[in-house]
Parts: sequence; structure tokens; C-alpha cells
Amino acid sequence: MSTHAVAINRKEKSAVAMVEMCSVRLGKTLFGVPITHILEIVGGARPQPIPLAPPYVGGLVHYRGDVLTTVSLRHVLEMPPADGSQDLLVLESGGGCFGLLVDSVGEVLTVSSATYEPNPSILDERRRALFAGAYKLKDTLLVMLDPERLDPIRLESMRSESMRPGSAQAA
Amino acid sequence: MMDELTREFLIESQEGLDRMERCLTELEERPDDAGLIGDIFRSVHTIKGTTGFLGFKRLEKLAHAGENLLGMLREGKLRADGPITTGLLELMDGLRSILRTIEAQDSEGDGHDNVLIGRLEELQAPALAPAKHARAAAGSGSAQSAKEKTPAAAIETPAGPTSSSIGPSSAQAPATVEDAPAAEAPTSGEKAVSEKPGPESASESGKSRTQAGGSAAESTLRVDVTLLNRMMNLVGELVLTRNQVLQATAADPNLTLLSRRLDMVTADLRESVMKARMQPVSNIFSKMPRIVRDLSQSLGRKVRLQMEGQETELDKSLLEAIKDPLTHAVRNSLDHGIEPPDVRTAAGKDPEGTLRLRAMQEGSHVVIEVADDGAGIGVERVRAKAIERGLITADRASLLVERELLQLIFLPGFSTAAAVTNVSGRGVGMDVVKTNVEKIGGKVEIDSRPGKGTTLRLRIPLTLAIIPALIVRSVQQSFALPQGALSELVHVPPEQAEALIEWMEGAPLYRLRGKLLPLVFLDRLLMPHADHKPSTERDNFIAVLNADGRQFGLVVDGLADPEEIVVKPLSTVLKNIGLYSGATVLGNADLALILDPGSIALRAGVTMSSSEEEGRDAEVEAGSETASSMDYLLVEVADRQAAIPLVDVLRIEQLKVSRIEYIGYRPVLNFDGQLLPVEDSGGVLAAVAGDPEAQVIVVVCREGNRHVGIAVSHVLDVAAGGDLFEAGTSARAGSVTLLKSRVTGVVNLGGVPPLPVEETADSEWNQCSNGMVEAAQ
Repeated sequence: MSTHAVAINRKEKSAVAMVEMCSVRLGKTLFGVPITHILEIVGGARPQPIPLAPPYVGGLVHYRGDVLTTVSLRHVLEMPPADGSQDLLVLESGGGCFGLLVDSVGEVLTVSSATYEPNPSILDERRRALFAGAYKLKDTLLVMLDPERLDPIRLESMRSESMRPGSAQAA
Repeated sequence: MMDELTREFLIESQEGLDRMERCLTELEERPDDAGLIGDIFRSVHTIKGTTGFLGFKRLEKLAHAGENLLGMLREGKLRADGPITTGLLELMDGLRSILRTIEAQDSEGDGHDNVLIGRLEELQAPALAPAKHARAAAGSGSAQSAKEKTPAAAIETPAGPTSSSIGPSSAQAPATVEDAPAAEAPTSGEKAVSEKPGPESASESGKSRTQAGGSAAESTLRVDVTLLNRMMNLVGELVLTRNQVLQATAADPNLTLLSRRLDMVTADLRESVMKARMQPVSNIFSKMPRIVRDLSQSLGRKVRLQMEGQETELDKSLLEAIKDPLTHAVRNSLDHGIEPPDVRTAAGKDPEGTLRLRAMQEGSHVVIEVADDGAGIGVERVRAKAIERGLITADRASLLVERELLQLIFLPGFSTAAAVTNVSGRGVGMDVVKTNVEKIGGKVEIDSRPGKGTTLRLRIPLTLAIIPALIVRSVQQSFALPQGALSELVHVPPEQAEALIEWMEGAPLYRLRGKLLPLVFLDRLLMPHADHKPSTERDNFIAVLNADGRQFGLVVDGLADPEEIVVKPLSTVLKNIGLYSGATVLGNADLALILDPGSIALRAGVTMSSSEEEGRDAEVEAGSETASSMDYLLVEVADRQAAIPLVDVLRIEQLKVSRIEYIGYRPVLNFDGQLLPVEDSGGVLAAVAGDPEAQVIVVVCREGNRHVGIAVSHVLDVAAGGDLFEAGTSARAGSVTLLKSRVTGVVNLGGVPPLPVEETADSEWNQCSNGMVEAAQ
């Protein structure tokens, strides 16, 4: 379990805290990214494709003097590529900064940590490794995305492990 | 956490010890130089003074013992002979290791230095007797002025080998004492810097520079390297923004002046920041005398070290990166190059060998040369060793010529040393030098003559962050190709592709001046599974690349202008793809990946062919004939050969003669609205004027801030030229060069007259030529 989820679990036990989440819509699911991990939201990003890059890489974008590697959330979730332009979340993780390409960024939601629940056991293994639980909203679920779990370096190690037969369990 | 004061102390002390190291090696040559002794004394004294109130007792004790010895030297009671210099070097090492411990643990550690202190005291022994008299005369010393206090402290020490020697005088010694020895130094009769004329004067100039460095300290400032890196990044960003602004405002005359200013200021700023990161190579050269001294002693060699061009500057990060390769190279020269004195005498050489370190700037590179006058590399031994170590098969080895054999020493695991010594012979050596230098975009060249010596040249780019690159197009994307690896460009139009690009069982080849050049299609390499237009249906541009000794042609669909690009690092995941060395933002705000020619060659399976090797080495040899040689494009104009300096050549155009137009009598070429005057002194154009379909070759060159074209019959080769000197004078003949052992005239680009703008009443012409000048700037 990621450190973030642990932190939230602990909070749940001690006191009810309010967490601010940036909502992201992708397909039918509503995702949330804690705003503390977001450096910037860039609309209408046009990432430059990189020949021979790993499949989950959405391309390169220029961000404040640096060149950011982006992760395509659609690809990570095995969805078909988007048609139009996408929004970009610039995220901070242990391995540095990277971009997350999503269909569109919605409003910032304030959710109570009391409504948090960890990943359900019936979720497929791959998604269990990517998601960090969910917040129960009134009418829907807000699936929590943890930047650490979407970091390209981690995705790369997940990919190389899944390519090695027999060790898929470890992922 | 270390406090600011301690950190400052560490930095200062390190600098002091670096200074001491330089002085000590010089002291060996001039043991009576009072200025040097004064300098060393000051370094040690400052350390001692500061440790007093920082409370580093162990350091203080050692520095104190050293100071005593130095005090005696300074007063002329002792002479700085071999054992004393060795003792002082040990003192320096001792101080260094304590400083390192402080840096790492914030404390001095538990060790003690009694043995070393004892030795330092022993060295004072001959001077002890007179010292006692001096003590009687000087009195207790503690109440005396700072100037006299230090020598007095020196006298107290011999009383006992333990800490009791830290008397009240030394503990009180305030930091202000620092200036006293400086005032005192010249009193011993000699000038602080003794400018001895003779063969050493070249390295002398470097020395006086370092000594003058003290007074410059007030006008300088210590800056954190991370801050400089950040500034460099921001300047890079500004360069990119400028490029974009320039492109966006090109059409708007109101903004031209402003954007021109922005352009200039940015260029100035960039240069200043780059300069701030520059450090003289003396920073690493200064470590060499010590290394040479220690090694030559342990190896039983006699070596004279000559250093030249220490003021040559290099980016700090690059300087750091070449420190180890250079040390390796120097060690190698001493261990394998320079022979023991008796062997040298037997061979009729001066028993003292010479190791020459030379740094110089050549265009956008700094060349560092390590040359010895030793035995040279025995190619037969290289052959035998390579076979013995299993690096090459005996069959293959027997086919190699001398030049190829020389390259074997760069293979990992190679060593000719008969026994593994602590100096070299562990099979870590030249390959490390080569890989480290290549890692920073540099090159290593070697030249060796049996019995005469070996010269190793490290060619280092001036800076890493901003490089000139050619922008190429493939798979509907832009890519940047570093100019450093690019040797020429060949255009193969679709209608000629069938004839010019040959296939040998699936391997595409191009005949470049009669030699087969392996081709790599970039689109097929990048997208192996997609369908690509065959080369007969599109333009093919062959970028002839030299990567790690491999020559190949990279075929791309299109070319854009060369640009100065700012290298942005890629994330680990993308770096691991292995084809890209970075990314950059182009003037049109597009991102472009920077291609790594070496990896492309590897990926495509291009290896070094033996004929290439030979050609490359021949070039290296030609290059080392004279230091000031440069590359020329060898062309043929109406049956005569001529040379054009390669640095000035922008591109070579092959075009139909009908594309050449005339203003009055002057042939010109219209390139996308830019006019290019074409020089046709050889009558190449006139010869084919009757046939509009005839092809002519125009070499487009840079001359000052304009571009000019030279009409030629054929482009023959690229070769390194040597300087020719007018007989009886040392004046370099500027208009000729020695190319492939033939005296060849150099085309005078400046002699191409400017376009006769006044002849063209048409204002459109005027605009065109202005546009050209702007583009050239």
C-alpha cells in the first residue's frame, strides 16, 4: 500500500479530515488526484510523440524550461486513444515531475476522509496496483489516483515484471 | 548539520592546501625560493589559526608541527631538500585527510598523528641547536607582536613530541596573523616570484598567475554550482524564447528592432553565464605535478613535467569529468611510456623523460594533449597481449595493420603491463579514458611512434548545455542531430534514388567518393512496423555521421536549418530507449528529440570497418603533424585543386545550371528569397552555360556575416591541412595549405565581392539581399 493511502488510513482513525481533490473524468469513471501533488494543470496539451517509447508514454511536453515525460491515463487503463486534445496534469512524485494526460479536468472537490475506502478485492490486479482506493460521494465514487503509482519509472518496472512470465504475482 | 563557519573553513583550507601543493612541487625545483616557502607557510598557518577557535585540536596539533618546520625553512635555518619536501607533502596529505573526516562526520575522528608529527620534528633536528639560542634571545614569545610570535612558537615545539607543544602562543594566534608572513617573506632576500628564464618559462607564467590570485580574491565571489546550473537552465530557456520571438516577429517591421535587441542581450547574457561556469584547466593540471612526482619516484623514472595552456578554460562540469581520464592518461604515460633512466641512456636519450601536458582551444573544442617522449607503443606487444587476453582472435589480429592495432588499447580489459602494479596493469585504463571522454561528447585520439613517444589527445567540447545541431525531419517529426558528429550531407532526389542507393542483400549502401557507406533509414529504425515510402518516391537526405569511429549515412526525409539547441535531459524511462540523448525546443516551439549517432549506429548494427579505421587514423596522424592544422574541403575547379576551410562550409548544393541567375555579369543563386553571390573564377559555370540541363556544384560558405557560393567542378575529399611557412621566415603562408602532402591553394572567401546592389534599381533585389544579411547574422 502506498504511503499516501497509509496516511489517509491513519487520519481516518484519529480524526475526520477534509481532503481537496482535483476531479478528472475519463470514460465513465470519475478520478481524483490530491491537489497537493499537482503542480499545474495545462489545458489543450499537444504532446510530441516519441518513436520507440514504452506504450504508456503519451509523449513529451515542454513545461517551464524542462521536458516532461507524460503518461497517458487512457493507455494505462487500456482504453482506446483520445480523439481530441487532452488536458495535462503536471504531477510531482518521488521520481521527479511527470505529466498525466487525461480527457478533461473538472472542479476541485473537497471530500471527507471518513468516506474513504481502500481498493475492493474484486478489482483486477492491474487496477489494484494503480488505484489508491476510493471516496464515496453522494451519487458516485471518486477513484483516487496516487501520483507515486503512476510515475513512469514505476509503470516501467510493472511492465517489465509483467513481461517476465511467472513473476506477475509480484506486481 | 555543519555550521556556516566550519563549511567556510573547509573550503578555504582546501584552497590553501591546493595552493600548497602547487608550491611544494615547485619547491623541488627551486628549494631556496623564499616566496614559495612563504606561501606554504601561510597556507598551513591560516589553517592552524582558524582551527584554534573552531576547536579542532587534532588538526591544530598537526598544523602546528608543520608550521614549526616551515618556520625554520622560512628563516633559512633549514634547506628544503628532498626528505623535507616529502615530509611536507605528507603533512599536506595528513591535513587533507583530517579535513575530509571533518567534512564527512563534522568531527576530527579519533585518529592521532603522532607518527607524522614525530617525523616533522625529526626533520627539524639539524636546525635545533641554533634554534635554542634563538629562543633564549627571543624570550617567552607570548607577549610579542604577531610577526615575531610564530617563529617563537616554532622553537617551543621540539621540547616534546606530544601535545604539550601547543603553547599559549599558538592557541592565541589570531586569524589576523595571516598578513604578517606575507610582509616578512621578501626579507629573506629573494623576490617572491623568481622569474627564471629558460625552458620552464612557459609553465612559469601559470605559476605567477596563481600567485597573483591572492589579490584578486576581493573582486571575486563564491557561487554555489547549483545556482550556476539553474542560471544556465534559465538562460537556455531564454534562448528558446528568443528563438520563438524572433520567428514570430520576423514579419512585423515594428518589432524587428526590439527583437534584434532581445537577440543581442540574450546572446550576451548566455555568453556571460557560460563564462561564469568556465574554469581554467590549471585546476586539474595543478594536481599533476604531485602525481608525476609520486609516480616517478615509485616507478624509478626521471620525469620532467611541462605544462602549457593552463589558462585555457572549460565548463566546470566538463572539467570534473575529464579529471579522472586525464589522471589515467598521465599514469599510463609514466608507467608504459617513459622508460627507466638506464634504458633511456642506452637508447641515446636524455635520462630524464619529458611529459608534456598541453591545453588549447580549437574552435568549439578544447584539446588536451598528453605527450611523452618515451618508448612509444610496441604494436607487436599490443597484438600479442590482445590475443593473450582473448580480446581478439589470432587470425583476425594477423590481419590488422599498425594503426588498427593501436586502437586495440582502447578495448576494455587491455593492458600491456607485464605485472600488475599499483599504478596500472589492472586492465582498467585506456578504455575508461575513452568511455569517460566520449560520455561528455569528446573524442580520444592516439598517435605513437616507436622510440619517439606517444601522444594522446582528448578533444572536449567547450560546453555541454548548448550545442549546434542540424534539424532533420523524419516520420513527420523534427529531430536534432548534433553537428559534432556530422561530417557532410548528401541529397538524393527521388528520381536518382534508384541509381544512387544500392542494395546488397537488404543492406542499403551509398557510394561516397568511391567508398561504400552503410545507410540507416531513420524512419525504418524508429517505426519498424509501419509502412514507409520507398526512397524513389521522396527526397532522401543522407547525413554522413561519424560516431565512435563508425561512419554511416543516416537517411532522413528533410532538412531544416541548423540551430543552436539547448539540451534538455530526458526522464530515465526515455533515456533507456537508447536512441535519444536529450530533447530540445525548436524556434517554432516544437519539441525535437536529440538523436544519439553512436546509439543509432549500434542499434543498426554498423561496426567499424577496417578501411574506415585506416582512414580515420591517417587523419589523426595528419592532424598531429602540426598543432594548428585544420580541416579543408578539397575541391576541383577547372582541373586544379583548391581547398576551402571546412569550418566555413555550410552546405554543398548540386543544381541545374539554369538555376543560376545573373545580375549584370555577376552570377547569383536565389535560395528561398535569399541571394547568394556565386564566385566562378574557375569558369565552371561558363563552361556549361550552353546546356541548361547541366549540373553544377556550388559550395555554400560562410564569410564574415554573409554567405557566398563557390562554383566547383568536383568535390574531392575532406582532409586535414598543415601550415606552410615561407622559407627563411616563420611567417605562416595564409593562402596555401599542405593537403595530402600537396601544396594546395586556399580559396579566399573574403575576396568574393559583395553583390552589386547599386546596379539593381529594382527594390525587390535590395530587400532580398538585406534578408540574406539578416539571416546570416
